Amino acid sequence: MSITYLEAIREAQAVALRDDPRVFIYGQDVAAFGGAFKATKNLAREFPGRVFDAPISEDAMIGMAVGAAVEGLRPIVEMQFADFSTAGFNQIVNQAATLFWRTKIPCSLTVRLPFGGTSGSGPFHSQSLETIYAHYPGLIVMTPATVEDAYSMLIAAVAIDDPVIFCEHKFLYYHLKAEALPSEALPVGKARIAREGRDLTIVAYSAMVHEALAAAAELAPEGWQIEVVDLRTVKPLDTDTVMASVARTGRLLCVGEAWPWGGVTAEVIARVASEGFGLLDVPPQRLNAKDTPIPYHPNLWAAHRPTARAIAVAARKMLRQ
Amino acid sequence: MFDTVLDASVVGETDRLRELHLSAYRFMLQARLLDEKLASLYRAGKIHGGVFLSRGQEALSVAIGVSLRKTDVFAPLIRDSAGRLAFGETILDSLQTCLGSALGPMRGRDGNVHRGKPREGYLAMISHLGAMISVVNGTLFARRFKGVKDVVGVTCIGDGGTATGAFHEALNQAAVEKLPLVLVVANNQYAYSTPNDREFACADLTDRAVGYGITPHSVDGTDLTACLDVVGRAVAQARRGEGPQLVVASLLRLCGHGEHDDAGYIDPKKKNSPLGRDCLKVAEDILLNRQWADATEMAVWRNEALRIIETTVARVQREPAPDPFAEHWTAISTRDLRETHDELGV
Amino acid sequence: MPHIPIIMPQLGESIAEAAIINFLVPPGSVVLAGQDLIEVETNKATMTVTSPCAGKVQGYAVELQESYPVGAVLGQIEASAAEIAEAGLDLPVADPDEVAGAPAPVDLKADGYRVQPTVRGLPVPASASGASYLSPRLKARMNELGLHAADLAGIAGSGAAGRVTIDDFEKFIASLEKQKMSKASSMRVAVADAMRRSWTRPIATVGLPVKLDVLLAHRKASNPKPGPALYALRALAIALAENSAPAGRLVGNKVIHPSSIDVGFAVEAEDGVLVPVIRNADKKSLKELVSRYSELVELARERKLPAEATGGSIATVTNYGTFGLIWATPIPLPEQTLVLGMGAGRRMPHWDEAKGQFVPVTEAYLTLSFDHRVLDGGGAGRLLARIGDLMGHPELL
Repeated sequence: MSITYLEAIREAQAVALRDDPRVFIYGQDVAAFGGAFKATKNLAREFPGRVFDAPISEDAMIGMAVGAAVEGLRPIVEMQFADFSTAGFNQIVNQAATLFWRTKIPCSLTVRLPFGGTSGSGPFHSQSLETIYAHYPGLIVMTPATVEDAYSMLIAAVAIDDPVIFCEHKFLYYHLKAEALPSEALPVGKARIAREGRDLTIVAYSAMVHEALAAAAELAPEGWQIEVVDLRTVKPLDTDTVMASVARTGRLLCVGEAWPWGGVTAEVIARVASEGFGLLDVPPQRLNAKDTPIPYHPNLWAAHRPTARAIAVAARKMLRQ
Repeated sequence: MFDTVLDASVVGETDRLRELHLSAYRFMLQARLLDEKLASLYRAGKIHGGVFLSRGQEALSVAIGVSLRKTDVFAPLIRDSAGRLAFGETILDSLQTCLGSALGPMRGRDGNVHRGKPREGYLAMISHLGAMISVVNGTLFARRFKGVKDVVGVTCIGDGGTATGAFHEALNQAAVEKLPLVLVVANNQYAYSTPNDREFACADLTDRAVGYGITPHSVDGTDLTACLDVVGRAVAQARRGEGPQLVVASLLRLCGHGEHDDAGYIDPKKKNSPLGRDCLKVAEDILLNRQWADATEMAVWRNEALRIIETTVARVQREPAPDPFAEHWTAISTRDLRETHDELGV
Repeated sequence: MPHIPIIMPQLGESIAEAAIINFLVPPGSVVLAGQDLIEVETNKATMTVTSPCAGKVQGYAVELQESYPVGAVLGQIEASAAEIAEAGLDLPVADPDEVAGAPAPVDLKADGYRVQPTVRGLPVPASASGASYLSPRLKARMNELGLHAADLAGIAGSGAAGRVTIDDFEKFIASLEKQKMSKASSMRVAVADAMRRSWTRPIATVGLPVKLDVLLAHRKASNPKPGPALYALRALAIALAENSAPAGRLVGNKVIHPSSIDVGFAVEAEDGVLVPVIRNADKKSLKELVSRYSELVELARERKLPAEATGGSIATVTNYGTFGLIWATPIPLPEQTLVLGMGAGRRMPHWDEAKGQFVPVTEAYLTLSFDHRVLDGGGAGRLLARIGDLMGHPELL
């Protein structure tokens, strides 16, 4: 048997619905239709009265989930595309994210954001928004890179008392497969060493972990041993694991599919530079998408975001310094 | 609760109406006196940030409070001091929040009208207008999900807030879900300084109800009896499962947007029109005319309210302010997921 | 009348700015095209800025002694259209006076006014790559071991452009551990530190032979006898009292002038060198200084120098002649610009023009090592010549 990243997300929601009667799913086309990406396929049938179609009202969808969380439920809200979550941004960052701090009432809701680029999706169906949510206090931001993490982290997200922005990468939906679903997982908030090395650390998350691993494989025959750190959650950021890796390698390259300005990659570099300056052998670098909207044409799109090739080029430059 | 139009001639209704009016009036009076105290504390520099008063909107607001049960949901907005008291908020909670006491419900983290106790169905508003409506929807949705019946949720907004996208999304959502929501719009004629004709172009805000497929109600917001009647009826209809209700009250804000605002933009003609009547004075006249209370009783209530307010202010002013060194500087409830990163270790 | 700007020209390939030295023509003067208007100084030369066309100097927009970048508008020439055309210049567009009689608003969108983006791709400073580059990681490791950059001199770096990698460093440290090691004295470490700091400056040395016969005779006749270094010290003090500028220190773009002529002298003590100081050495005669000098030498050797006799001196004298050396290039203390050295005296044949024959004289070299940022060869030579002159007239000391 093999299971895709997307199926893992569906399974995780099934587990959450089965194990916790407080859980329900709310989103556009999620009930009978099973979601635009089929991430909730058959769940409405398997769990009657637990999966609800929402009007195209992202603001009201999140507001509703906050109200339900106040009442002790654990809603999962599916945004059809991460891009559209900006229409519900106010409720996420001002309502959900501030509730616990203001009132002591934890706001246990999970917002699923199908995010990231796929060929031909263009400016409004490709965005990576983890940075803007990570910027706001009160939110947990998850960016699973593997089928196993997609499954176990989504189950964890629903169980967490705080609002979780669950960034699931659309490219990985069908491209990533695992033999089986895991029964154990690393704790949420802990980064993972996806590949061990001693010459350079690449910090990445979500789909970029796979690009980084491919780059590491490309550099191996040249004698370079590249360590790849998969952040798993960008907030909280596991600074300790990153710092320990840089202590081993002395070189840090951060890769993110989001835009560069003030992003997760910038945050990682800022922390390493301020807390681990003495670990660095060369100036730390980052690779991000270009600072433009995301292009539609595959030729442009491929050049817009970091790829294994681009990562390898950047890494080589750092290794030769 | 009223299910019919208030009619003093109906046998047995008179006593109930009298009690309701007296109770409502006393909350209005408390709210007004509390507001006046807050304004004076603000001018004395005792209150940080802003102070936003409810003067002129007490009748409408109190009608919500007295129409709701403790088990209902209430998300008040900026000018609901009377409704808050009637729903069960104490003067202590209010003053602790406004004066920033560490012992208050908001612990100095939020102030003035941004207060509540969400687990008691009393939601704490955020500043973004329209944003609370869908949250009330969520609480009502959740209660239905849990099988809790006989619940109503009320939230308030001004004429200005009806122009937000959140207002539209949430009313539509409530209608789609057939939630027992009562949305009370206080049309106080100005969105801060902007008059109605720059905020909406429909003849009357109740026209919008048709578009959402919900029930409209209009009321003179300066008339306590009318407010108790119409708001009470809307709440009862929602409770009976008749879906969302939109109540639009006409009134005038008899103060600035906040205490920093002299409200010089308010048209004097409006002030002198029936809209500009002081609802507290109107309520007093109702009580006096119907001989439900006399001036001596009213003076006793006033003195009693003043005494409670003064002793509470004295108490809260002795309470500790929040201590930045003792503050838990985290917005995350899950201990293990708090950021370990500490800026410069300070 | 249209105005034509006077622009700071490109004054050389690598010149970015120049300071205004002099206005050669007062405002209001009528000038010819190409006439010298302003004298400017770059860090290489003094040059003039000329008039872009014939006309009247309307005014200058700059201050004397201030630096302005290449391309800066230094002033305006009021010129007729004919004069402008003759100079091959374009008539300024929309001249406020000509067009409307009122100043036109500055068009911020016009190309000339657009805020330029930050310069990218500036050349990497020499120290940030190659053999002399120390990564933060290497620096942290060196700090941990108490090492300085100079300690790495013996390592041939295997990294990019000869850079010393952390691996090179660790191998070097491991190799040292195989050899005999002893702890350097605190005196040694202090001297090393001072020399390392001093060596960050461009140090040059000039030398001059002086005849010592008169001085030696003077010394023989004196009681007590001043040491040869004291003669040199006193000569240096007098010379600096006459002109203290060579002992100034350069900090940024300022010269810090000495406030009193306090001169030190080097005394070898145990595992290093101490520098006792004679305060106001210009104000006391040689005779008055003899006992103080001997006292300080003794105290230094016992390492018991009082606080008032250490530090704060403006120059140092070192008599390396006591080691039999005739010439050396000592390094000035880090906080000083000058060190005067004195070599061993030797009997030398000297051509006596009057006698038409060689005669024996006692001669020694004086050397002056100096911070070339403050002083040039000529200035150092003149100072040294004056010192030599004074040492030939010990009665003046």
